[in-house]
Amino acid sequence: MNLFAYTILAGIMYGIFFGLVGLGLNIIFGVLKMINLAHGDFIMLGSFLAFWLYDLLGFNPLLVIPVAVVVFFLVGVPLYYLFVPRLLKSKDPEMLSFILFFGVSQVIEAVIIFSFGNNQRSIPSNVFGAAGFDIFGQRFPSAWLVTTLVSLAAFAFVYWYLHHTRMGYATRAVMANRDEAMMSGIDVDRISAFVFSMGLALAAIAGVFSFFIIGAASPSMGPELTTLSFAIIVLGSLGSPLGTVLGGLIYGVAIMFMQSYFSSWADILPYILLIAVMLFKPEGLVGKAARSA
Amino acid sequence: MGDLLTISALESGYGLIQVLWGSSLSVSLNQSVVLLGVNGAGKTTLLKTIAGLLTAWNGKIVFDGIDITRAKPNKRIAGGIGYMSELGIFPNLTVEENLKLGGYFRTEKQNRKRAEDMYEYFPDLKEYRKKMGASLSGGQRKMLGVAKTLMSNPKLVIMDEPSSGLSPKFVKKVVEVLKFLHEREKLSMLIAEQNVSFIDFAQKIYILDKGQVTFGGDVEELKGNDTIRKTYFGISH
Repeated sequence: MNLFAYTILAGIMYGIFFGLVGLGLNIIFGVLKMINLAHGDFIMLGSFLAFWLYDLLGFNPLLVIPVAVVVFFLVGVPLYYLFVPRLLKSKDPEMLSFILFFGVSQVIEAVIIFSFGNNQRSIPSNVFGAAGFDIFGQRFPSAWLVTTLVSLAAFAFVYWYLHHTRMGYATRAVMANRDEAMMSGIDVDRISAFVFSMGLALAAIAGVFSFFIIGAASPSMGPELTTLSFAIIVLGSLGSPLGTVLGGLIYGVAIMFMQSYFSSWADILPYILLIAVMLFKPEGLVGKAARSA
Repeated sequence: MGDLLTISALESGYGLIQVLWGSSLSVSLNQSVVLLGVNGAGKTTLLKTIAGLLTAWNGKIVFDGIDITRAKPNKRIAGGIGYMSELGIFPNLTVEENLKLGGYFRTEKQNRKRAEDMYEYFPDLKEYRKKMGASLSGGQRKMLGVAKTLMSNPKLVIMDEPSSGLSPKFVKKVVEVLKFLHEREKLSMLIAEQNVSFIDFAQKIYILDKGQVTFGGDVEELKGNDTIRKTYFGISH
């Protein structure tokens, strides 16, 4: 019974974090209808940013969040204008975007390995105190609590942005229909560049906290994380940012059960879930229309 | 001249495929202009190029005295062009949200006032204000599209096939509504259509064929032209 309660609670915390892992990918998909195949590599970059700032300057991971936001907006906006408007003008933007972002993924991985070696890095989880905390008589590391709260804050931010700001309102219009949004006088490129950068920053923030949930970071972990994120957002529903929470929760609880009861099978879970959703509920658990876009 | 919109020798298309081969036309202030053409003639391409959804390859677009050939779409819309696509609306947003987006760059107060005008013109929309665009009937969707386009109080309204997907009864209704709005709001409009019933209220008619404007004149001149009569008033209608 103890193991069961522990598994559920840990699964929920993991799940909320995995929601954050997929969130950036999903808002970019929502606005651009493109899958950022380099998503996992931006998570990896976030991890490395956090590691260096911790290792060299003793930064607490929480302090890395504002740094990551600034850095990834500075990277994201030019990256958007360099690639995406041209892609969107092409005949088959989806296919070309796969190839392009796959290339970006390879480049990021190669540059990091070339510059810093293919080593695993980590931040000790006692950075948030070694004491741990109790829920219903189960003890968990403090780092999990912090990670869960940060992930919840990220979701709250995205919800607030989409539903309570003028730009968020325009963003929802672009998500609903890009051309119609343009014809309503919305500067679609400006909104897209902002959301694209926000997606990268959210990926990086997931990376900052991935040490405490996923474990050590390595330069080559990107593609696997992209697949995982893809499975999570397909579970929730493509293009519906808040559906990502549900996808993350299902994945988090499922992976915890696998690890507790059938640990040797846990690695194939994302693929099993992906296939199951595709077979039985291809529109995702909360979605309906996103796929037609 | 007094022209609100002047297009000269416009060339445009998709990817490598050229659709417009030097089209020229003009719309004056308060004038209703109908652009007739069969499917594939390039009507949508022409309108999209005016609105900025497609880039002009060559030629010139002057609107309200300003060369907008290279302007960004949102600048053109803010400058006074109202564009209604064939879809016309955001199907997965409510009627109210659609109207609000139609006046995106105007103040909340202006939008509320303008929405009241729209609800007065289209009482159906008021009743369905909380409903999704997708749940409306085909005719109501067109009305929502028209209302959404008028929300920003545009100097020029351009519409891509407002009759598409409608039964003849509703086409007649759309024609009546546009005729009424043209008089009531003193609209300047450019409407692309393949349905000839729209020439009913047209002060000027252009015919687009294979990416070129082959005729420009009023209804009398149009009816006096043999080839055109065969194409548009012949057995097909």
